[in-house]
Order: sequence, then C-alpha cells, then structure tokens
Amino acid sequence: MKHELFPWLILFLPIFAAATITLFTLRSRCCSAFLSIGAIVAGFILSILFIHANGIHFAGEISKTWLSIGNLQIDFGLKLDALSMMMLLIVTGVGGAIHIYSVGYMHEDAGFSRFFAKLSLFTFSMLGIVLANNFIEMFIFWELVGVSSYLLIGFWFEKPSAGDAAKKAFIVNRLGDFGFLLGILMIWGILGSLNFAALQNSITANPVALGTAATIAGLLIFCGAVGKSAQFPLHVWLPDAMEGPTPVSALIHAATMVAAGVYMLCRIFFLLNADALHVIAYIGGFTALLAALIAVQQNDIKRIIAYSTLSQLGYMVMAVGLNGPTAAMFHLTTHAFFKALLFLAAGSVIIGMHHEQDIWHMGNLRKKMPITFWTFLIGALALSGIPPFAGFYSKDSILAQCLEQKNYLLFGVAIFIAGLTAFYTFRLFFVVFTGKEKTDHAKHAHESPLVMTLPLVVLAVFAAVGGFIGITNNYGSQFVADHETLSVAQQFLEPLHTPVPMLIGIGVALIGIFIAFSLYKNATSDPLPAKLGGLATAMKNKFYFDELYEATFVRAHDFIAAVMDWIDRWLLEGFSIGLVRGGTDLTGRALRLLQTGNLQTYAFLFVLGMAVVLWLVLK
Amino acid sequence: MHVGLEHYLTVSFLLFALGLLGVIMRRNLIVIYMSLELMLNAANLALVAFSRFNDKLDGQVLVFFIITVAAAEVSVGLALIVALYRRRQSAHVEDLTSMKL
Amino acid sequence: MPISILTYIFCAPLLAALALVVVPRNYRVIIRFIALLGTFVSMVLAIKMFCQFVPGHDGFQFEQQIPWVNSLGISYHVGVDGLNVGLILMGAIVAFAAACCSWEIQTREKEFYILLLIMSGGILGAFASLDLFFFYALHEFALVPTFIMIGIWGRGERKNYATFQITIYLSIGALIALIGLIALYLQSGANTFDIPKIIEHVKANPIATNAQNFIFPLLLFGFGILVSLWPFHSWAPLGYGSAPAPTAMIHAGILKKFGLYGLTRIALPLMPQAAHHWMTILAWLCLGNILYVGWVAMRQRDLNLLIGNSSVAHMGFIFLGIASLNLIGITGAVFIMVAHGFLAALTFGLSGYIYQKTGTLEMSELGGLCRKLRFIGTALLMAAMAGCGLPGFANFVGEVSVFFASWTVFPVVTILAVWGALVIGGIYMTRAVRKILHGPLPEKYANVADATNVWRKLPYALLLASLFVFGCFPKLLTNQITPDATKIVSMTTLITAKPNMVAVSEIQSPKSENRN
Repeated sequence: MKHELFPWLILFLPIFAAATITLFTLRSRCCSAFLSIGAIVAGFILSILFIHANGIHFAGEISKTWLSIGNLQIDFGLKLDALSMMMLLIVTGVGGAIHIYSVGYMHEDAGFSRFFAKLSLFTFSMLGIVLANNFIEMFIFWELVGVSSYLLIGFWFEKPSAGDAAKKAFIVNRLGDFGFLLGILMIWGILGSLNFAALQNSITANPVALGTAATIAGLLIFCGAVGKSAQFPLHVWLPDAMEGPTPVSALIHAATMVAAGVYMLCRIFFLLNADALHVIAYIGGFTALLAALIAVQQNDIKRIIAYSTLSQLGYMVMAVGLNGPTAAMFHLTTHAFFKALLFLAAGSVIIGMHHEQDIWHMGNLRKKMPITFWTFLIGALALSGIPPFAGFYSKDSILAQCLEQKNYLLFGVAIFIAGLTAFYTFRLFFVVFTGKEKTDHAKHAHESPLVMTLPLVVLAVFAAVGGFIGITNNYGSQFVADHETLSVAQQFLEPLHTPVPMLIGIGVALIGIFIAFSLYKNATSDPLPAKLGGLATAMKNKFYFDELYEATFVRAHDFIAAVMDWIDRWLLEGFSIGLVRGGTDLTGRALRLLQTGNLQTYAFLFVLGMAVVLWLVLK
Repeated sequence: MHVGLEHYLTVSFLLFALGLLGVIMRRNLIVIYMSLELMLNAANLALVAFSRFNDKLDGQVLVFFIITVAAAEVSVGLALIVALYRRRQSAHVEDLTSMKL
Repeated sequence: MPISILTYIFCAPLLAALALVVVPRNYRVIIRFIALLGTFVSMVLAIKMFCQFVPGHDGFQFEQQIPWVNSLGISYHVGVDGLNVGLILMGAIVAFAAACCSWEIQTREKEFYILLLIMSGGILGAFASLDLFFFYALHEFALVPTFIMIGIWGRGERKNYATFQITIYLSIGALIALIGLIALYLQSGANTFDIPKIIEHVKANPIATNAQNFIFPLLLFGFGILVSLWPFHSWAPLGYGSAPAPTAMIHAGILKKFGLYGLTRIALPLMPQAAHHWMTILAWLCLGNILYVGWVAMRQRDLNLLIGNSSVAHMGFIFLGIASLNLIGITGAVFIMVAHGFLAALTFGLSGYIYQKTGTLEMSELGGLCRKLRFIGTALLMAAMAGCGLPGFANFVGEVSVFFASWTVFPVVTILAVWGALVIGGIYMTRAVRKILHGPLPEKYANVADATNVWRKLPYALLLASLFVFGCFPKLLTNQITPDATKIVSMTTLITAKPNMVAVSEIQSPKSENRN
C-alpha cells in the first residue's frame, strides 16, 4: 500500500480541527472556518492522491489493537477498498462543498465557531464509519455520528422545538443501536470475531456458519440501519431533525449520515441470508412508499425534501434487500449529489426569504434567484429520474434489479414511488419558483452570495453527469467478481439494456411532473386536500406515527417509570424501611420506660448486676 | 485473740456495704459522695490486708494509686457538685432527673 | 523494607488533615492550600505509581509489610496489582478534584476539609491494603465522615432523613460484611489477615462448601449494600441528593467501589463454588439496578436524584461483569469501576456548581443554561453522554466488555441490560440535558456566571480528560487489569472443596498454641 499515512490523516484531521476550534479559536470565526474547511478539503485531496496511487480496486487494511481482553480482540483499523474509498470521496467531497456553503449560511450566527467544531466532529465520525474494519469500531463511530447529529440538530438549543427534535433523534437512534449491538454480540458469540474480513472468510468457507441464528443476527444488525437510515418504523426522527441549520440537513440528514445505514448493509452484505434480505427489501419498499405519500402534503420546504430523503433511503434499502448492493451504492452516491444540492438550494431560498420556510409564502423566485433556480431545477430533475441526469441512471438500475429478482410487487411499488417523487418534487418547484409572489418577503427575495452559490453549481454539475462518469465501475468490483468496466459512452447507454423499466420509469416521472404542473402552476393554495379528503389529512399528519409512538413507546416507558418510582418511594422506602424504622422506634419507646432518670436506681441496678455476675462466676 | 485475714475482710465488707447502702439510699449528693469514698476505702483496707497476709507489696502500691486517684476524683466531683448546686439550687438526687426523656 | 509509594499516597491526605488541626480556623486560604496540597501530592504520586506499574508482574508491586499483631496475624501490608492500581489512580484524582470543588463550602471550612481529607486518605488506604484488618478498618475510617458531612453541610429538607438512612444502611452493610470477613478468617484456617497468604492457603486447602455457602452471601449482600445493589439501593440517590458536592463526589466516586473491589479481591477467589452458585441470582439482581433504577431515574425531577439513580444503575453493569465470572467480565467490571469513579465525581461536581449558582436543582425550574454556562454546560453535556455510554468515554469500553462477557453466560439478562444501557440511559440523560441546558433561559438566571477561573475549571477538566484518555486508549488500563483478572478467574474455576465446615474448636487450637 502506498501512502499508508494518508488514510490516518484523512480520518484524524477533522477531529484535530474540532478539538483546536473548541479549545482555542472559539472567538476567531475566521480561524475556525479555515481549520474546519481546511481539514475536510485536505481530506478530499488526500483521498484523491491515495486512490490515484493505489488504484480504486485496491483492497487493503491497516489495523492496530485497540482493546484486547482474552478472546475479545477489538482493533482500530482502516479498511480500504473500492466501497470505502468511494465513500471517502463522497463524504469529503460533498461534505467539503457543504462546509464552504456553511460559511455563507451561518454568517450571521453567534455560534459560528461552535458550528464548525461540531461539523468537523461529525466529519470525523462519519469517516470513521466509512473506514471501520470491524463491528465495534463501526459501532463506536455509529454512536459518535449519532451524538454529532444530536448536537447539530440541537444547535439552536434555545428553541424548544430544536431541543426536542435533538432528543427525539438521539433516542430513536438508540433504539436502532440496541438491535445493532445485540446483533454484534450474537455474531461474535457464534463466529468469535468482529473483523469484517475475518467474518467474510469464515462465511465464505462455511455459508451456514451462523446456523439458525443467521436470519435473526442479520435482522438485528439491520436494526442499526433502520435507526440511522430512518427506515420504518424508526423513521420519525428524520423530519424533526430539520430543526437543525440547513447545511446540517444537507450534510447529515441527506448526503452522508443517513446513508450510513445503507453503507453498513453493503459492508456486511455477506452476512445477510435470503430471509433477512427479504425482510429488508419489504421494509425499504414500505418506507419509500410511506414517505413519498407523506411528502405530497407537507408545506415546509425542508420537510418535503426530508420526506423525499426518507423515501429515497427506502429505495436504497430496498435495493440492498433485492440483492443489489451495487445499485444501492450507486443510488446512494447520486442521491448524495442531488439531495445535498436540493437542500443547499432550499437553504439558499430560506436565506433569500429571510428564514421563511413555508412554501405557500413563496412564489416566483425564478427571476430573483436565478442560480438557485437553475441548480434546484437540475436537482429536481435528477431526483425525479429524468435522463440524462444522475438520478435517472441509479433509479433505473434499482428498477432493473426489481425485475431481475422477479419481485413484481416491489417493482410496482417502486414505479408508483417514482411517479410520486416526480409529483411532489415539482409541486415544490412550481409553488416556490413560479406563479405569483404570495407574500412581501417573496417580492423582496434576493440571490445568495457567491460562497453559497458556488457549491450549488459544483453539486449541480455532478447531479447532472453523475450517472455516467464511472461510479458503477468503481463499486462493481466490490460485489461482483466478474464485472466489466464500461466506458463513458457505454454507461450513458446502459439503461437501454433493460428498456422495460427505463421506459416505464421515464413515463411515470413525466406523468408526475405533468400532474404537478397542471395542479400547481399558478396555485395560491393547495388544491389536493379537497380532492383527496381524509387521505390528505392523514398524509399531512404523517399517518399519525408520532402520535402512535407517543401513545405506545413513550407512554409505556413513562408508565413503567411511574410504577417503579411508586414502588421505590412507597414500597421500598416507605414500607420496608418504614417498618424497620417503626420497629426500632417502638422498641426504643418501650425500653425508655426503664430509664427513670434517678441516679440511685441506676446504681442499685448496677450493684444488682454485679452481684449476679459475681454469683455466676463464683458459684 | 488472734486477728486474722477474715477479720479485716469482714470489716472491709461491712464498710463496703455501708457505703453501698449510703450510695443507694441517701438523697444528698455530698453524702453519696462520702459513701463512695467509704467504698473505696473498704477496698483499700482489703488490699492492704491481702498485702500483709500474702507478703507481697503489690496491694500496697495499688492502694497508693487508689488514694491518689480518689483525691483527684473528689476534687473534680466536688467541683461538679458545687457547680450543679449553683445552677439548680439543690443537691438532691430526686431533683436531678433531667436525663429522663 | 523501604517505605512504599502507596504509603505516601494515602498518608499525604491524612497528614494534611493532621496539619489542619493546628491551623486557626480563620486562616481560610491556608486551610484550603493545605488540603489541596495534600490531595495534589497524593494524586501526583498515584500517577507516578500508575506509570511505573509493570503489567503482568508476578505478585504485588510497591509492597510493604510491617507485622503488627502477630498472634492474630495482622500486619500492615500494602501493595498493588492490576485490580487496584486503576482504583488508586482514580481515587487520588477524584480526591484532588473534590478538594478543588470544595470552594462552595462556606461554613466550618476547617472541619469540612479535615473530614474530606480523612475520607480520601482512608479509602485510598483501604484500596492499597492487602491485609483484611486494615482493608476493613480504613474503609470504616473513611465512611464515618460521610455521615457527619451530610448531616452538617447537607442541603435540602430531607437532609436529616437522608443522613439517618445512609448511616443505618451503610453501617448495616459494613457490619454484615464484617461478620462475613471474620467468618472467612476463621474458616480459611490460615490464621492470618494477610490476603495473599489467605489466598495461597486456600489454593491448597479450599474452604468447605457449606462454609462457603454461609459466608459468600454475607459478603455479597454486605458489600452489595455498600454498593447499592438492588433492592438495597434507596440510600444512594437520597444520600447523594442531600450531600454537599465534594462528599458526593468522593463517596459515589471512590467509596462505593470498595464493596465491588472486596467482592472481586476476596469473595470470588476464596469461595469459587458459592460464587458459581450465587452468580445467576446476582445477574438477575443487577437487572434491578439497570432497568428498575433506570426507570426510577426517568421519573426524577431533581438533577441530583437523577444522577444518584443513574449512578446506582451503573453499578448494575459492574455486578453483571462480576456475575459473568470470566476474564472479559471481570476486566470490564474493574474498568467500569474506574470509569464510573471519574464520571460520578464529574456529574456531582457539576451539579454542585449549578446548585451553587442557581440555588436549585429542580429541573423544571432550570433551562437554557447552555447559553450562560458555556464551560459547565458543555462539561455537563459530555458527562451526560458518557453516562449513557457514548464511545470515546471510558464507560463505553467497560460496558461493552461486560456485554460481551455476559452474552455468553446470561443472554437474556444481557439483552435487557443493553436496553437499559442504550435506551433507558439515553432517555433520562437526554431529558435532563433538554430540561437543564436547552430551551429558553429563565429571566432569573440571566446573571448566572460560568466557571472562568482556571481553578474552577481544573477539577472538571481533569476528570473529563481522565474519562477521555481511558475511553480512547483503553489498553492503558486493560493491559494492567487483564493478567490479574486472569488469576482471579483461574481461581474461580472450580477446585474440589472439603465437604464439611471446619469445627470451631479445631481452628481455635492452633491459635491458643500461638498465644502460648
């Protein structure tokens, strides 16, 4: 391996930046931003140099012992292969663009330095997940991204809603981690190792090594992904997480952290057996459908994109479940480009509108914010799956995967979601950028500064061409032994090999856009609720999942807590201790009667006692 | 008449019993105190007698110690009684039952 | 034999306490300085000792032995191995931090510092002792000041009740443990209080099974009460809630580990069969700590009661590690003992600061403090995260090792314990953070001042740094624990014992020979 130092630097530069900012440069906004951006951009450059020196299909591992007790061996290692190196590029590349964008977005915030420190902490944790070579290391960084997400969602902690959202995200993620850790324990208990490579070897040597536990172990591990990638039934935290600053939504809750679940599934793909994959596919598909339906009736610009993220994550998870990790990772990559782009553009709109997020207060921003408009359009087209934008290729590969697995139910669902996606994306697009200005703010909106628009343009380029610049080639070697490297032209025409999903996909997307156009071109209020009735209300209220959890999980825990507290207070402390105390007290009162207080009585008793003792001794 | 150890011990016992009776029966603190001294001296007498009849000096040495300690004790005790009397205007044990709850 | 560094470590605070006796009470700066100096010297020496410690060395290191009562076999004997080296380091650091935090005490400072120094010196001595007599006596020496401190400098309306409860509970616990230790002394037949000698003796002549079955529960529950084993835990939250911060720091941080240390050092290796017999019960009892007390913690409205309950909950993980009776479990348990010492001290120190500045710990009255208390708020947030097992802090390493250990022995208990660690812990900690640090800042706290002075920040920074160091580089500690934990575990793998208890007359005869 050449440049063995580079991966360490890539990993540790951000945490170094975070520590330096926290300890020394909190007062200097300039230094803080420079350190944080410097760390991630350096990481990007080093990643490119490393890949250039070693080639993308290189596979290697650097490992140091972190903890060793008896037969529990936990390494701190870096796993470098096509999968992790591509993710390195995404995290540092997209992350770098978002870091730079943040300089503009957070410009007026008092917590500017704090923000960058937390952002760097997040980058460190995310890179750790990407590079981890064993389960516990991954779990460690898994928890760390959880906490950085907690910190960043609660960045504006004075808003009660932000504090609540942060808390919710943390706890819901912890529910997923509960399963994840149990899965890790189970696999260690059976196979005796935590290292991915060692595990893969033992599974390859003996495919039934996990025995009957294989499905349960696989699903427990999947629980981690359910929490982090916000799959049903733990999807409820992600929309609330939009309380954080918009760059955070773009970086953590769209491009990288939420994708970590999908990445993890691909990393441990060899552990998942057919039954587990089946469950994963259906959960993914259901999440995608549910989120897409909810997105149709949301009015907050960030929440719409958040539900769209949920839906796309469901797509990726479904792809993993359909035995298509390559397709999942492909979609993950392109999604990182166009979803980060959409979020950043939304952020630009929010700043332009002076922190207004309701789409029904916007309108006709096309003229006022041209760069934002055009980049948003590219993102929206990519998300809807219109050729030749990036989303089209990755979505098509997932649809093809459905057909290849002959899972027509999920294929139908996926097609329906593709249509819905195009519909809600362009609903947002038409309401915000066309029609009439609905408020004064919209009339006085202004374009964002260069530091914000430049990252938009860069991301827009990738969202446009990401589908055929060789991303699948890079992932291919990871999962398929005999994959062939395609030239750019071949990739450009790749979807033609499977014309059925391609044509249907494009068709429903166009239908979705057309419906959105006809309904929302000049709308000033949403015409849908009147047409859909109760369904629209249900969508608007997110199918009442928050209320459901409030009534079950939260209530149950609070109820048990109340019962336990009651037992503690009254049974243990009141009754048991009261009994002991009362008993002692009563005995004391009885014995007190003997104390006359008369000195001579005591003296007499004393003599009497002495006499008895003497009599006993001398007898 | 030959005076033997038993005679000394009888006297010592009588003195001790008298002292004890005084401690238990009398109400005045000063008298109780004197009775206490009586008991100590009963012990002294017994010790001296034993010492004489066993031909060992240990008993006599112990008596000196007792006398010294008793002197110290009396001084402290009397001081306490005087202080108590000043405070309570009484040296009778019936009046001193504040230890009773 | 030269004087061991351990003697210096635990005598430094005691000497400082002696010195304080002669300082007039209005020389406040000097009183404070002497107290800080005593604990600081002890901390520096402890760090030096920790660095010089050679892991896996055969037998004990830094040993010193002076015979005292030969007829009973009592001697002054100190020494460290992997089990207590971390505890002594932790104890010395926490003691210094607690002395630093004592600036909140405004009345009767001299007595307070004397008691504080006695507490820290006593418990460090107890950890260093390899003689049962000193081991027990020094712990009692450290324990008694706790009651006085809660009674005099405590806070809240239930102060007196708490004092009574903690006194009675802990005295009973210590008493039961004492009965167990005396019975152990008699039954081991080694005629010595010297722990290594007893262990050597027992290796050759195991204690009879029915004697083990009689003594082990005494030690388990005696020490268990001292460690707030469920259901004997209710003294802990209340006591800590009413205690002044430095007392809570030292008691929850260091003294509480005494029972656990005693269990691992004495009960497990000497009575392996009874240990095997009782461990299943212990594993289920520790769920009481983890789940039940965790739920109770969720209900608390007072920050100190919440921390107190969470500290009780953490004890569950240590018990679980001990209960799994294997190398990973014991190592993990010792690791959490050290980690929790730092953490408990940190949280109680921080809550003490908040109480000092706001006059309340009622969480519904607080809020938004992160804005005014940048340093303290960040530290509290980190402490809360460490408390719910965030990687990077030492607790995570210990807890995860314990889970790995117990998974192979008690899978069901482990599942529930993981739920307690990840979910319940996460819920009450984030709720506390939400209520205290997040949200709008109430008007009345607009002038709350953060810790700006280096001296004010030092104790918290020190404890946080310790948590970080051991959390990021756990090998520093595990390498030292593992060889000696291996010895403990190898002793618990069963040796066949004589079936019957040694008759009391039999043990007394050699002793009377000695006396003649």
